[in-house]
Amino acid sequence: MEKNQIIQRYIETVLEHGEPPGSVYRFAKDLDISEREFFGQFASFEALEAGIWRDLTRATIEAISSGEEWTDFSAHHRLLTFYYAYFEKVLDHRSFFLVRFPRPSRQPLQTPPSQLRLMHDEFCDFARRIIATGVDRGELPCRGKVAHTYPGAMFLHFLSAIDFNLRDDSQGFERTDAYIEKSVKLGFDLIGTSALDSAVDLVRFLSGRTWGKDQQPSA
Amino acid sequence: MSSTTPISDTGDQEKITSGKVTRVAALAGAGAQVGVNYLKHYGKRAVGAEPAIDDLHEANASTVYRTFSKLKGGPLKVAQMLSIDKNMLPDAYRQHFAQAQYSAPPLSYPLVVKTFRREFGKGPSEIFDTFSQSAIHGASIGQVHRATKGEHTYAVKVQYPGVADSLNSDLAVVKPIALQILGLKDADVEPYFREVQAKLLEETDYTTELERSIELSQQTQQVSGVRFPSYYPEYSSSRIITMDWIDGLPLDQFVARDPDQPTRDRVGQAIWDFYHHQIHILKLFHADPHPGNFLVDADDQVVVLDFGCTKQIPDDFHRDYFEFLDADLLDDPARFEAALRTLEIVSDEDSERERQVIIENAMRGTELLGRPFHHGSFDFGDESYMAEIYQMGEEHSQNEEMRSMKTARGSAHSIYLNRAYFGLYSLMGLLGARVKTEKPVLDYF
Repeated sequence: MEKNQIIQRYIETVLEHGEPPGSVYRFAKDLDISEREFFGQFASFEALEAGIWRDLTRATIEAISSGEEWTDFSAHHRLLTFYYAYFEKVLDHRSFFLVRFPRPSRQPLQTPPSQLRLMHDEFCDFARRIIATGVDRGELPCRGKVAHTYPGAMFLHFLSAIDFNLRDDSQGFERTDAYIEKSVKLGFDLIGTSALDSAVDLVRFLSGRTWGKDQQPSA
Repeated sequence: MSSTTPISDTGDQEKITSGKVTRVAALAGAGAQVGVNYLKHYGKRAVGAEPAIDDLHEANASTVYRTFSKLKGGPLKVAQMLSIDKNMLPDAYRQHFAQAQYSAPPLSYPLVVKTFRREFGKGPSEIFDTFSQSAIHGASIGQVHRATKGEHTYAVKVQYPGVADSLNSDLAVVKPIALQILGLKDADVEPYFREVQAKLLEETDYTTELERSIELSQQTQQVSGVRFPSYYPEYSSSRIITMDWIDGLPLDQFVARDPDQPTRDRVGQAIWDFYHHQIHILKLFHADPHPGNFLVDADDQVVVLDFGCTKQIPDDFHRDYFEFLDADLLDDPARFEAALRTLEIVSDEDSERERQVIIENAMRGTELLGRPFHHGSFDFGDESYMAEIYQMGEEHSQNEEMRSMKTARGSAHSIYLNRAYFGLYSLMGLLGARVKTEKPVLDYF
């Protein structure tokens, strides 16, 4: 069975039962495949979900960077475009998000859970490219090594936007749009000053060390 | 006293505040600053300088305006509505709030693209040949982009997201603080807040606005000197309205270029006739007579924009209200009181003293506001007339006896019509126009 088919069946199973299958054994049996076949593709349900979160981020980035207006966009507009496109995609998978997405609001300032590791790496690569674009075009100041902390901070913001969206009960989730619009603007305003550096420093202090190279103190 | 720096620099149109708490904080900040301005005022006086009270209002107005301008949607609209009513606000506040029309913070282009995709399934660059990435100007709940397709140029108005949703909470938060800052009584502004709430909710539905715009502009074709943009339903939706792009000057900029008197008169007459045609014939009118809603084009034609806020009045209300324009009414106190009772301005619940105060003031107000209609034509360039209206408002606002009454008198329809008239008179005053007032009105009756 193909990888994507397994993922598809996994999502369906979760949505219908409101929780992941009790065991890989059970799930494999339902799919009429062997456990070996499942483990050939995924180490665990957690790894399977980690792939889902990453793929959605990756697919969004690919879809927007091929748009014809992309090259003209400033860093600010690129990030906004990512968010708007991402939340359009979330609309198709909202139930799955509500059931399975590890939401940061339940444990603020904690290390993001390991299922989001792949998504984090994917997003941070993208964030670094955005920052590089901004610096190249003079939109953002060049802050040397401090700038290495920005992708991590942007990822935390990304999680906050997802959480906001999942809690949003406005029609057409318009409040999420407003949240993105305002908070991204604030973020870019802050990067323009050193306020963000101080804030990241504080958050990092409060949250302890987190995984990922980006968040290591720059040596 | 040391000089105090303003609460923030001039760039604060750019800084968008979010969340209830921030909004409260922003407004509370303005409240404190108004206090500081008063201290400065008295401080100046203490050292012998005699600052004009206008200076004080001016300093306070720019503080309050800056605060309101940080908030989009509801609060901005309240500011604009208060700005129309000269009776509600000192002149300095009014002028600052009038700017609000032009300076709401912009919506990002990616969000405009998203809105287009959601509404039409296509981005603006797929629908039009060109589309301005940044807004050309702001409206109270949206912003306008310029687009072209082939030879044609369009104005595309895009609504801010979540406006309808945040409206109620915004107003609830803003109201008590606004009252405090502006020194107004709850009862005085309550009808405005209710109106803003209802009308703004209505305005957030661009589909209705589109229908009304098309309908009203068709029914008003015969008024000379006035024209309307064409609207394009195929490029419009509940969040987007597309119309012709029209080059012209907003009314206040037109006046700033100091046009000659005949031109002022012509433009004034066109707006005057436009209003009376709607009020008397259609009984459905453009209830937002703000200078930014009118453009004057290269041929000195008046272009009417933005039918977001319109108001329908019933026939019997129309009859009762316009009875006050009958000059003979003022010589017949019994009939005058009866007319006030019909409009529920005086009721049996009033004490004798209240009754007297109301009738006395209503008499004076009716004479003053009806004056333009009692002559064949009227010169709104007469500054003493506008000053008299303003002064009457000031006196009302300082008259404790009137302020302490259980206000909100008269039917809700009066609010819209009064506002339309205050707005119309202000526009005429701004233009300094001489208009023919009697004939058209008599024709309508």
